[in-house]
Amino acid sequence: MKYFYWFIAVAVVVTALAVLFVPGVDDFVEQTLLGYLGRAAR
Amino acid sequence: MKIVKRLTIVVLCLLLIPATAVATAATKQRFADGPNQVFSGGPLESGELYVGPEPDWSFVSEVPTIELQLLDPPRSRRIWTAEYDGRLYVWSGYMSTAVGRLWKHWPVQAERDGRAVIRIDGIRYERQLVRIRSGDILDGITATITSKYPSQTTRAAVEAGDAWLFEAAPRN
Repeated sequence: MKYFYWFIAVAVVVTALAVLFVPGVDDFVEQTLLGYLGRAAR
Repeated sequence: MKIVKRLTIVVLCLLLIPATAVATAATKQRFADGPNQVFSGGPLESGELYVGPEPDWSFVSEVPTIELQLLDPPRSRRIWTAEYDGRLYVWSGYMSTAVGRLWKHWPVQAERDGRAVIRIDGIRYERQLVRIRSGDILDGITATITSKYPSQTTRAAVEAGDAWLFEAAPRN
């Protein structure tokens, strides 16, 4: 489990940095969320 | 029992990754000049502020979405719009569903304080959002809405409170 926790920690940091600095990642996140919200709200 | 506990931890940890992505994207957008698709943006700062007579809003029939910012709170979002009989309208659906009420705060905020700024094609307009709850005018407005968008906004939906409709009237 120790390695798993490390993996999650690294993944969380990389995800945050990608959303902040890699062009298009924030749009992808938003589009994906929009799809889920639209279905859930119906 | 131990394996169930461990499995729960694994699932929660994995969910942390998309949750981080969503939280980061939402936070990033809050500092932007305007909204994106879902996440609210900051105040609408760029663009010329329109001064002059009431515009001919018929041009919005060619505009898929507009940016709307309330003065209180000063956050912006992207929404659909329609023009009917020379007046501009915005609305919010899903208002009677739990997810909708969690997702959409601006209609409640707009009903409390309707002062708003909208930005269309880079031009900002100062408006006053006035909620319309009933009346024959809803037939025409909702017909315009459903002809423009794949929307289920009907007069009955507005009068039942499922959709909240506002006129973006001139601000006095």
